[in-house]
Amino acid sequence: MNLRYVFKELTHQKRRTVISVLGLSIGIALFVILNALSLAYHEAARAPLKEVGADITVQRPGNVPQELAGAVFPCSAVTIDEEEIEDIKAIPGIRGMGKAVLLWIFDPNRAWIVLGIEQNNPVGPSILKNFITAGCYLETGKPEVLVETAYARQFGIRLGDHVNVAGRSYPVVGLIDASHASKIAVANLYLPLAEVQSIAAASKNLQSVSPFAGGDANLLFIRADQDRITTVAASVKAILGGKATVATPESFLKLLGSLFALSDKFTLAASIIAMIIAILIAFKTMAGNVAERAREIGVMKAVGWTHRNVTMQLLAESVIQGFAAGLLGLLIAQAAAVALGFMTVNIPIPWEMSPTPHFLPGGGDPLFKTLRLPVHIPWSLAAFALLLSVIIGGLTGALLGRHISKIKPSEVLRHE
Amino acid sequence: MNNKSDILVGIDLAKTYGELAVVKGVSLAIREGEFVSLVGKSGCGKTTLLSILSGLEHPTRGQAFLNGKEITGASEDELALFRRENVGFIFQSFNLIPTLSAWENVALPLFPIQMSEAERRRRATELLDQMELAHRLEHLPAALSGGEKQRVAIARALINHPKIVFADEPTGNLDTATGDAIMAILNGLHRKQGMTILMVTHESELAKTADRVLHMQDGEVLS
Ligand SMILES: Nc1ncnc2c1ncn2[C@@H]1O[C@H](COP(=O)(O)OP(=O)(O)O)[C@@H](O)[C@H]1O
Ligand SMILES: [Mg+2]
Repeated sequence: MNLRYVFKELTHQKRRTVISVLGLSIGIALFVILNALSLAYHEAARAPLKEVGADITVQRPGNVPQELAGAVFPCSAVTIDEEEIEDIKAIPGIRGMGKAVLLWIFDPNRAWIVLGIEQNNPVGPSILKNFITAGCYLETGKPEVLVETAYARQFGIRLGDHVNVAGRSYPVVGLIDASHASKIAVANLYLPLAEVQSIAAASKNLQSVSPFAGGDANLLFIRADQDRITTVAASVKAILGGKATVATPESFLKLLGSLFALSDKFTLAASIIAMIIAILIAFKTMAGNVAERAREIGVMKAVGWTHRNVTMQLLAESVIQGFAAGLLGLLIAQAAAVALGFMTVNIPIPWEMSPTPHFLPGGGDPLFKTLRLPVHIPWSLAAFALLLSVIIGGLTGALLGRHISKIKPSEVLRHE
Repeated sequence: MNNKSDILVGIDLAKTYGELAVVKGVSLAIREGEFVSLVGKSGCGKTTLLSILSGLEHPTRGQAFLNGKEITGASEDELALFRRENVGFIFQSFNLIPTLSAWENVALPLFPIQMSEAERRRRATELLDQMELAHRLEHLPAALSGGEKQRVAIARALINHPKIVFADEPTGNLDTATGDAIMAILNGLHRKQGMTILMVTHESELAKTADRVLHMQDGEVLS
């Protein structure tokens, strides 16, 4: 193989080189961008749960008492008892778990959405720590309350005030802007879990439809091994019964409804089609190249090049074109990724996961987690695409070996 | 028949394409240092015979020996290597690689050989210098005249120090004056360097300049 000759051939036959490199690079770019988009949607679908430090959230729908008075569970989240919680904890693949209790509390002159949280468990709504706008976060073991800023503004609640919830009085130690935090398990008041558990346990109205004991909860947050999320979710369903609402990145992906989000098969099929088109273009131009150069190849053979010498020469040409096409393809894909990164996605948050009574302000409005589509090309994808492009170049070169061997050296003696 | 000083020997060579017999039992011998021309009408089978004798094609029947080696029956790759070591070619249509410069075209047979770029260039330059083309080293074939192209081709034919040069209508694409110049070069190679040359032509005027003229007619060489 003679590099000088390779280089001359590629630079002097610009049109041919440009067509084959461009053709292949567009295929490669399509391949990369399709996969990057698919990855981006997958990542986006993880966002809502990631914000509560979880991969999976678990709730169980049930009945609401006929009379909305005192503390009640929303219909989308009723008791998950301690025993069930222990069983779930034991599922292999689970790395961490958090629990919470979400209540609607109807006091004589006010209705609240109240969330009982484990202050220091990183799995679950403790992320709220970062969204305190005034005052401080809940101190462990103290009966204190955080109030959501919008709600506090609406009802004139200030830092240092006391609020009366279900007959108990709590000092307001902090205000929290939950609108920037998670969209899941959003509440007006945030209390220590134990407090809310005891409020729930004490509510006769609540007990009448879903018995609740001190150690129970109605929201679970699970962090799991990334490759076992699906099986963990299935195990949770097996423990809680088929009606349980188990939210996973996959379930959000389904809500997204994008073609890329819907199925990996679509991405795979589209990638394969892109690659086949790229391969055909590359093969066609390179086959045309061999046909056009039949006489030239005849000359090479006549002056003593073996079949192998000729093949290696053309192989080097096509491999180098494949490499160039790979680089160009990545460049195009990167540009496309930057452009697509300006797209926003609205991930619908099911009402069940952030239940607000319809008669409260904003209750029943569709809720979305909005974010920029996180399109980026991972190194592994880039490396794979480049390798693929080189292999396609090599493969076309190798496939052309057959055409090359058919060219007779005596070809050169034929005079037009 | 296989005389010691015979560098090229053909015995009862025949070539048929389907029903068409193009070469019909040709036997001949060429001695080392001889300049032989093969003359005959267009289509009588000269090129076909030359391709068999030079190891570019296999005959349908018969044997050919070049520099003591039987080339009929050798594989394509064996023949390629054999041509690389022993044979130079000059064609009617020059057959230069359009993307390579003059000196690179001359060095083309050396590309598959382990050798430094500088050495290839040195040898090519030396030959182009002999062909009075020292000022055309970097030109592409498209920028050369017909006569210059053929002189580049002659340099290419000589780069591997061949035992024999085969020339098929080397002046066929050139005007008379240029053709004469090319013939002068071939004659010079023969006289000054003792190069063995087998030249095919349909012009008996050109053929006459050779040591010996073989007449071919309808696939047969007349004695
Ligand atoms: N590959 C081939 N297939 C079929 N016929 C061929 C082939 N090569 C040459 N011929 C035929 O053989 C005859 C002799 O051709 P050629 O040797 O080129 O003659 P010349 O060189 O004397 O003009 C011609 O009729 C030509 O058409
Ligand atoms: Mg001919």
